[in-house]
Order: sequence, then C-alpha cells, then structure tokens
Amino acid sequence: MTELQDTARRLLDEGAVRVVIGWEGGRLGARPAFVTSAADCDRLIFDTRCVHNLATFLNPRRSQVAGLGKAAVVVKGCDAKAVAGLLREAQLERDGVVLIGVRCGGVVGEPSALEPPALTAENVSSRCWGCDVREPGSVDVLVGEARPEPPVTAALDERVAALDALSPAERLAFWTKEFSRCTQCYACRQACPLCFCERCIVEKTEPQWIETSPHPRGNFAWNLTRAQHLAGRCVGCGECERACPVGIPLGLINRKLQQVVYELYGYTVSEDPTVPAPIGAYATDDTQDFIR
Amino acid sequence: MSAVDHPQRSGERAPGDGERASAEFEPRITAFVCNWCTYTGADLAGTSRLHMASNVRIIRLPCTGRIDHVFIVKAFERGADGVIVSGCHPADCHYTAGNYHARRRFGVFRELLSFLGVEPDRLTFSWVSASEGGKWADVVNGTVERVRRLGPFDAYHGLAGAATPADDPFASYETAAAGSDESATKASAGGAS
Amino acid sequence: MSDETIDDRVEGAAEAETIDFANDDDVAAPRRRLLLTHEALAALVAELAAAGTPAVAPAWAGDAGRAAGATAAARETEYRTVSGAAELAFGERLPRLSLKQFFLPPTEVLFSWRRSGGGVELVSAPTTFEDQVVLGARPCDVAALPIVDKVMNWDYADELWNARRAATTIFGLSCGVEDDSCFCSAVFLEPAASRGSDGRLTPVEGGYLVETFTDKGEAFVAGHDALFTELAAGADGAALDAQAEGFRAAARERVAANLQVDHGRLRDWLDHHFDDPFWASLGPRCNGCGVCASVCPTCHCFDIVDEPESVGRGVRRRNWDTCQTCVFTLHASGHNPRQDQNARFRQRVEHKFLIYPLKFGDVLCTGCGRCSRACPTGQDLAEILADIDALAAAGEAAS
Repeated sequence: MTELQDTARRLLDEGAVRVVIGWEGGRLGARPAFVTSAADCDRLIFDTRCVHNLATFLNPRRSQVAGLGKAAVVVKGCDAKAVAGLLREAQLERDGVVLIGVRCGGVVGEPSALEPPALTAENVSSRCWGCDVREPGSVDVLVGEARPEPPVTAALDERVAALDALSPAERLAFWTKEFSRCTQCYACRQACPLCFCERCIVEKTEPQWIETSPHPRGNFAWNLTRAQHLAGRCVGCGECERACPVGIPLGLINRKLQQVVYELYGYTVSEDPTVPAPIGAYATDDTQDFIR
Repeated sequence: MSAVDHPQRSGERAPGDGERASAEFEPRITAFVCNWCTYTGADLAGTSRLHMASNVRIIRLPCTGRIDHVFIVKAFERGADGVIVSGCHPADCHYTAGNYHARRRFGVFRELLSFLGVEPDRLTFSWVSASEGGKWADVVNGTVERVRRLGPFDAYHGLAGAATPADDPFASYETAAAGSDESATKASAGGAS
Repeated sequence: MSDETIDDRVEGAAEAETIDFANDDDVAAPRRRLLLTHEALAALVAELAAAGTPAVAPAWAGDAGRAAGATAAARETEYRTVSGAAELAFGERLPRLSLKQFFLPPTEVLFSWRRSGGGVELVSAPTTFEDQVVLGARPCDVAALPIVDKVMNWDYADELWNARRAATTIFGLSCGVEDDSCFCSAVFLEPAASRGSDGRLTPVEGGYLVETFTDKGEAFVAGHDALFTELAAGADGAALDAQAEGFRAAARERVAANLQVDHGRLRDWLDHHFDDPFWASLGPRCNGCGVCASVCPTCHCFDIVDEPESVGRGVRRRNWDTCQTCVFTLHASGHNPRQDQNARFRQRVEHKFLIYPLKFGDVLCTGCGRCSRACPTGQDLAEILADIDALAAAGEAAS
C-alpha cells in the first residue's frame, strides 16, 4: 500500500497528473477516492474491499471528473480490461491517462466492511474466477506484492449452465420474474465502464424503441438491449449486478454472452486495445449454420 | 400507424384463409428484409405466382446490416409470433459488408433471445437472393409451419397484460352511452364511436 | 392552500430564525395496548391471506440472483404481500425498497385512450382501491408517508396517492436499529416513531406489544379481536411495558450515536453555499445512477410518458424518475441547468434539507440509510450531513 501511496505522491508532485483516482477507506467500507494533493495520498488503499471498477470514472462525459484534470487511475487487471475497451473504442487517448496497476488476489462482492475480509469461496466476487490478469500488463506503473490466487468458485458458470439446461418456457418464466423487480433506474448502465454513450438508446423518444416504463414488457426490452449492446465488450466486472438495487442477476446474462462470443468467434476480453471487439468486426468465414 | 403493428386479434383472420379450419392458429410473422436481394426475391415469388402462406408482413430495409435487434423485439411486442430476417448471401451485399456485420450481430442475438426464454424457432434467418423466389416461398412456408407448431407467442404478448389494467378500461365506456357508468370521460371532438 | 404564492412562503420562511417542525399529525398517546403472540401473528397473516386481502409485510426475498449462496444474515428482505408466517422477516434486514411502491408504484397508468371516429376517448384510472393493511413496517418508512403527503396535496391533490393512502392501515414495528448508516433520530424521528402509523408493534417476550393510535388502527384490531389480548393490569402488564420500553430506549441510544446535526445551521449553510467547493468533493464519486432515489422512502419524482398499447389504443403512465440522471433537467433547447454531477448531487441534498423544509416544514428524509447502503460508489449521507454541519459550525465560529 505504501508503494501505491508513494507512486501517487510522486505523480502529483511531478505534475504528471492533477488527480489520482483510487480507493479509500470510508466510514462504511472502501469507496472511490479522488486525490488532488500529495498530502492526501495517505488515504489511498488497496485491499480485498476494493471491488469498484474505477475505469467508469474515465467516461469523458463525466465532466465533473474530467474537470479535475489529467488523471492517474488505480486499476486491477479486470479494470484495466475496461480501460482497454475505452481505448479500443476511441473514448480515451492512451497518453491522456496514467494507469497504476495493482497486483491483485481477488476482491469480495461487497465493499462494505470496516476491515478487509479474508477471501472465501462464498464472499469472493464472481468476476475473480479464472482471472488471467492478476498482474495487469498494460499499465504505466505496477505496484503491490504478489498475492495468492483467489478462492476457486465456478458458481457463475454453473448457474449459467443450470439455466441453459431449462426449457425456453422455464427460462422465460425465470427472467420474467427477475425482471419484474426492475424499475429501469439504469444504475446498471451508469455503473458500467463500457456504457458511455452520450445519448443512450433508451432515451431516444422519436421513436421510443425501448419502453421506459418498468413493466415486464419494457423491462425485457431494456435488459435485452443492454446485454446485446455489451456483447463482446463486457469485461465481466460485475458492477452492474452490484449496483442493481433489487438484486437482478445481470451477471448471468453477461457471462452467457461472453461464452457465446468465445464459442462463435474465439474472442475473450483482452487487455490489448488493438485486438478488435467481435461485434463491429467480422470474418468472411464466420459461422452461419443458423442461417437458412 | 407503424407498419409493424398488427391489427387487434379478436375475430380477425388473415385474408386468403378460406380453406383452413377457422379454429387453426394463424401465426403473425414480421419479416425484415434487405431491399436488394430478398425483397426482390420476394417480389419474384409473387410475380411467379408461387403459392405461399400469407401470414407474413414484409418490412423493407436497405440492408440486413441496418437491422437493429430492437426491431425484432418491437415486432414481438406488437403482436408478432415469429420474425424473419433475410438478406443477401455473403459476398453479395450491395454495401459490401453489411450482411457480414448482420451475421455476427444476429449470431449473438439469437443466443441471447434463447437464453432469455424465446424459442429459437420463432426467429428465422436466411440468405435469399434476388433470383431465389422459390427459396423465399420455402422460407415463408417453413417459418409459418414452425411457428404454427409453437403456437401464439402469448408468453411475450402476455407481458403486455401485466402492463395494462386487467379489465378493458373501455368496457365501461361502451355502457356509458347507455348512461350507466361514471368513470368514463369523453374527449372526442368528432363524431360518435 | 392560501392565496400567498410559494415564493411568498419560502421568502417568509427563510427570514424566520427557526422552522417549527412540530408535526400536525403527531400522534396522541396510544388508545389501547394489547399483546399479539407469535402464534397469533401467524394466524392473523393466514386469516388475511385466506380472506383475499393479504397483508403487506417485510418478507424474505426469493431471489435467484444474489441470494444464491448467501448466508441467512445476508439474505435480502422486501415488502410484499405475504400468504403465510414462514415468509415473514420481522426484525431482519431492512427491506431493500421502502413502502413507497405501494402508494406511488414504479409505473402507474393515469388514463387509457383510444381513437374513435375522428376523435379520442379517455378513461381515467380508477381512484378507489381495495383496503390493505401493512404489518411490521419500519418507522422510517411509515413516517415518510405523511411527509410526502404534503407535496402530493400542495398545488394539486393527487387522487391516486391519496386514495391508496386512505385505503391502507399501517402498523409499524419498533426498530432495533439496522446499522451505522441509519440516522432517524437526527431527522426528528426515532426507531420507535409512530408518525404516520395507525398502530405500532414492539417486540416483547412471546410476541409483540401492540398499540393503536387511530380509528383505522382500532378498526383493524376490532376486526381480528380474537387474536389480540388486552394487556393484563398489574405486574405482568407492567413487565411487558418495561420490556418494550427497554427495547425502544436501547434503540434510541444506538441510533443517536450515528449522527447529530443542527438543522437550522445546516439549512443556513445550504442556503448560502450554492457554489461552495464542497460540492466538487462529492460529485466526482457519484455515478448519477439514482439508486439512492429508487430506494428512498421520500423521493417522489416521476416522469410521464404516453405509450401505445395497440393500434389506436394506448395509456399515459407515470414512472419513477430521479434528479440524478443527466437528462432530468435537460431542456428541449439542449441547455441543461444542472450540467454535471456536482450540480445534481448538490440538488439532492438541497432539496431534502433546505427546499422541502422551507416549503413544507419537513425534512425530506427519514434517516433510513438506504441511500448510503445501496450506493455503488459509497456516498455516505450521514457523513455528508456531518461534514456540512461541521463546515457550518466553523463558519459560525469564524464570524
């Protein structure tokens, strides 16, 4: 942690950045912090509570963050994949941000604890399973000691498989029930680093493609659309599900589509922004066995 | 009135159904087709007087690459029991690569729809060229039969039932003219209903 | 409402040194005190369900999602109609949404329309509702209702809200304090507050001490007379009283430790520090997601949309909305008076702790703490209020 604080202090002192976006320990747990002075760098922490994907704050439309000046962002490997997504889609210039990577051994699903909890198969975040970026590679500085592997849990894949095993009618009943709680608050969209559109399709009123009313029909259209728009772009950070105030298991849908783009197009989320995302690219010999 | 809407279901049957049993379910199919290939192919099917089911309403777009998944969702919302998406064969796209983009997009979308509980057979994809009138007739007939076996898409249309008040709000209005109900408000500027 | 305009009242109030927060609907002493055993509660819930009028109560959420693998302590609860005692979650985690959804549903039809001949026919949504009882609601959720009643009857009497309110009987449940995020005692309430309730349950040995406050509360008890026992006079009754008061007193002490602020000082600071750099310390962290508004018992903004249902038919609906979204104040011209999250987050705090008090004499917050628990980026309202109060105190000391 001291290495992280020292790095932040140096960057601010040198004037390389005007703000360091990291995590701090609050009264109710870990939360994002925006440190603008070297003296405040002591606030910066990194522990198992640091689940937030700070890449979300790099959305250029967040003028209250952009207005703070050039930023250094502390990123775990999963967060770095989101930054790569933003670079891939021309939302950022690489030299417009400094990336401080942290070596990570996994985080918990919920950041609210006074002390960082030890990780168990029950409390570890679903994003940590199978992580291949415990040392983020695409960063400017890498800090922190190497940490042990996170506890193994394939819970997310198992739950996706369980849904796949149901009949379509059973799945429709499942999702109708889950989406019945949705109030179309769009917290999932706001929490997502890859949902950065200046004008979201749900806000388009001429015509209104997606009904904004939170009835099951409108909720189906909304959740289906967001999932489709994230296909091949979602990094699996789980922030959408964590943000949802009524506990809709959005991670199941996004994980399913990660599996689909892998099976169909051999694509897995990459830290390398030059690897094109699957939707938007194509190959002349793409699978078309579903087309008559 | 949007071309996507289907008229109220009550008592109405698609024209040309005289031979079929009146109780048989006639699926409502919306087809999103590209202008250059499939639309022309469908036209050819018509001018060739090929016999095919009449359950399909065609919406013409410049290219399958233009077809957004929300169109398909909207069609189901507005009463379609099945949807067809059809365009030019790979390498024949009028805009060079539109159908390649569509192929990827719909490769993913059909998996997503299936995961959320829509039977895969309700959504049909095809490449039909301008000269394949016969193929278009086959796609239409095949789709209608597959969707007929699945039945009306009540589960999705029923989501609308959850949205609207259970009772028809205008039922009371029908009797208001007889002077009975108090809850109807008439705001008509023109003639009576 | 009198002839004076809102501006007159706001100006007048701003000049007043203090606002009298004594509530017009402060409840009197309890009319009756009764005992409801756990078994009787189960029977009551079953009786109501069997009669086709199931009670709304805190219940275990039957989620497939986050609850998978969660420990019992982590299991979420929600307010919903219950058909049996096994579903009840009295005194467990605070329900994730407030009671607001039963009076202002997330989506609600205002009227239905259809084309007819050359014109349009309209049918308004019905404004009578089935009677409903709420059992075991948290006082912070119940007290929110009379607070929001004021704006719902300000320049227009909202028939849908009022009719649902009139049709509902509410029995609160004295709260044992959820955690460090609550601060009901800092907003003129307390964990056993009876504001807005027709009756109150307090946990005692063997069940609940039940107190009735209103005609509705009395009527409900009378309708299920066999299940309630009059509190015995003498030592037994006194012992239960003491248990109940002990529970309530411990809760009061616990929540008071979470936050104390001087509202007059707070209001004054908010009124004079619109451009303070303090807001820029809060805005960056905010996602603009509005989860705070969804879970809040007192947030009540809504959006109105027209939706076609079929050819020539449709409805007008109102849907929950939030001032935290970037389009909330977006004008058709493209101008947005609240251009960034600093401004939008400031608005939230000002509306709740300055503007609503000046307009209606009530803080638009019951200290339930949901906003802080639900916020994905860790905004902590109690901490924010304490920080503002500290700034205000420092300002006072300096002057």
